[in-house]
Amino acid sequence: MNKYISIFILLLLFNQTVIAKEDNIYTRNCIPCHEYLPSSLERMFMSYLKVYSGELTLKESLKAFLRKPDKEFSVMSDLFLDRFDVKEPTTLTEAELKEAVDIYWRKYNIRNKLH
Amino acid sequence: MLASKNRDISLHHNNEKQSLWRFLSLYIFLVIVLVSLLSIFYYQSQEELMFSNMRTKLSQYANEQVKNLKILHHYFPAKSQYPRDERFQSAIYDIERVFIFSTLKNNNIDFDKEIYRVGDKIHFVKYLDDYYLGAKYLFIEVDEDRAWHHETIIQIIAIGTVALIILGIFGIFFVKIFLRPMRNSIELLDNFIKDTTHELNTPISAILANIEMMDTEIMAQKNIKKLRRINVAAKTVSHLYQDLTYLVLGHQTPSRDEWIDLRELIAARVEYFSLLADSKKIEIALDLQERKILIDSAKIARVVDNLISNAIKYNKRAGKIKIILKEEYFLVADTGIGIEKDKVAAIFDRYSRFNSSEGGFGIGLNIVKSILNEYNFDVRVNSILHQGTTIKIIFPKEAPNE
Repeated sequence: MNKYISIFILLLLFNQTVIAKEDNIYTRNCIPCHEYLPSSLERMFMSYLKVYSGELTLKESLKAFLRKPDKEFSVMSDLFLDRFDVKEPTTLTEAELKEAVDIYWRKYNIRNKLH
Repeated sequence: MLASKNRDISLHHNNEKQSLWRFLSLYIFLVIVLVSLLSIFYYQSQEELMFSNMRTKLSQYANEQVKNLKILHHYFPAKSQYPRDERFQSAIYDIERVFIFSTLKNNNIDFDKEIYRVGDKIHFVKYLDDYYLGAKYLFIEVDEDRAWHHETIIQIIAIGTVALIILGIFGIFFVKIFLRPMRNSIELLDNFIKDTTHELNTPISAILANIEMMDTEIMAQKNIKKLRRINVAAKTVSHLYQDLTYLVLGHQTPSRDEWIDLRELIAARVEYFSLLADSKKIEIALDLQERKILIDSAKIARVVDNLISNAIKYNKRAGKIKIILKEEYFLVADTGIGIEKDKVAAIFDRYSRFNSSEGGFGIGLNIVKSILNEYNFDVRVNSILHQGTTIKIIFPKEAPNE
């Protein structure tokens, strides 16, 4: 019995290590900057969802903003923008940007999470 | 044998009744259409009223649900239970009309209507300004209360029936007013015929009697020809006189049914009309079987006379007439001018004439039809324009044959 528990714990640790080391375009390019901001990426997603509603609309609006950030089109509050201003335009390619936004959508999309 | 026929064979009154019923049917049909349309409008207005009342209530439910969605949006994902209310069901869809969540019992939704019925449910759609949880469309669903429907149907039936009865009574008055000019003109014509008939009897009888008495053996050939022409003309007028007499008096007197040798009668009438046929060089072919029939002799004579005289009158010069008498039927076929297909049904109507080149009042076949109706004889007409007409009288199966 103890043998099985040991194997399970080992597998769990291995899995955690893999997750921690998950390396993709989103984790490399989005998380590093946002982890120092007071508003989480998840709250920002909910703000985007409240303004743009649908998947296609949200993704296209987000990509447009990331390519050419503008206070006028930001979903963040004036207080937040006064303090942190808008980000620099993204340096990602079109394909990388698409991939990052898709990952972002998949991660925080509320569908199938309501019950 | 004296048989009294109670049946009303007056086609004059039948035609009037027919016209009255036609007008009345059309009027009632239009009234029903009108009442139906008004009922539909009334039903729709009541339905609209119901939707209007529901709209207020459902709008209030929707506002409450929006508040709940706002709270859930704020606390998501810490809280992820979709807000529910026992008074209604709801569903949310995003701006691209993609499903987010639903508790609806009937998911047959319409994004383009504010409020609508689906099955036994009412759906109300609210368009959100802030898309909490990404929801642009919020659907609120409640069960439909059908009480208004039953109440409206009962009202429509009650009011509709009363309206139909009142308008129907008005209709009868209107129809009588509209038909008055037609009735007046028919009465005028009838009176004219009645008066004329009384004046025709004596002179015609005198002409025919004197023609019979004339000694043609001492007469010049030229005068014999002239006398024949006078005879033909006098017989034509006599035939018309007999029709008019029947029309004025015939159907008012009881029928005197007796066994008539139809073959003999037809042969005699053909002989009577032979001069008329000869004047147009018409050849009459007879195929007559023995057939006795229980009928009023004057009436069957009118039938035979009219069919033969019409066959001669409307035939071409040097045409042919075929007269057949069998156990089951009596047929007269001519090679005359014929009648257009769409007018065949009207040939038995009184005063209907299809050829203005020949004289007549258009009463002969009307008399024939009234007699055939009285004795339940079936009649079939087959006519081809410019080729000829065939009239076939079928004796009823139970018609007595001595």
